[in-house]
Amino acid sequence: MRNRVREERVQRGISQAEIAAALGVSRQTVISIESGRYSPSLPLAFRIARLFDVSVEQMFDPEEEVGE
Amino acid sequence: MNTGKSSRFVAPLAVLIGGTIVSVAIGVGHGWSNGLIGEVATIVISFGYWLATGSKSDLGAVYRNKVDERQQIVYWRASALSVRVMLLAAFVIAVVTVALKANYWQADLIGSLGGLTFILGLANYGANDEQSEHDDVDPVQRDRSSGAVD
Repeated sequence: MRNRVREERVQRGISQAEIAAALGVSRQTVISIESGRYSPSLPLAFRIARLFDVSVEQMFDPEEEVGE
Repeated sequence: MNTGKSSRFVAPLAVLIGGTIVSVAIGVGHGWSNGLIGEVATIVISFGYWLATGSKSDLGAVYRNKVDERQQIVYWRASALSVRVMLLAAFVIAVVTVALKANYWQADLIGSLGGLTFILGLANYGANDEQSEHDDVDPVQRDRSSGAVD
């Protein structure tokens, strides 16, 4: 599942470690989400969207698989 | 989903205690020099665990029992794989020991416990969740009210 986490994070100048701390997950998990290797649970997806002040639909695109 | 208050000493300590128990058993059954070798190996392995729990890797998080949701899934998958291999090993050992007319109750016990706990796990973790007996929306009524069916 493609997402805009990396774009939003870089745009705001926030590090992966800071995002991880804000979300209560490990930095490895942030890396996995950004690369599309891991699709977060619904609660975490909502937390990510809320953190960047966007909707879940804006942040995650279930139609678009990574690597397509 | 960090679950933990567990410090980095819990896993190494568990290994140390478990290994010491095994080493004492070896000492009683096979001589104290062998038991001492077992205890030295236990200390080395325990130190390895302590080093691993100190890292910021997924492995360290799993050993510290401070995992997030992705690491939890990784842990569950690894545990499931481990259990499958153990059950397969128990099956093979049971077959071999039966063929050799040796005692096979140990392998039988491990296999039975594995199978039983799997069934208990299914029941406990919701495999029997019943679906609603009736759908709360009648599709015919819905189509009529929306004008799809005359």
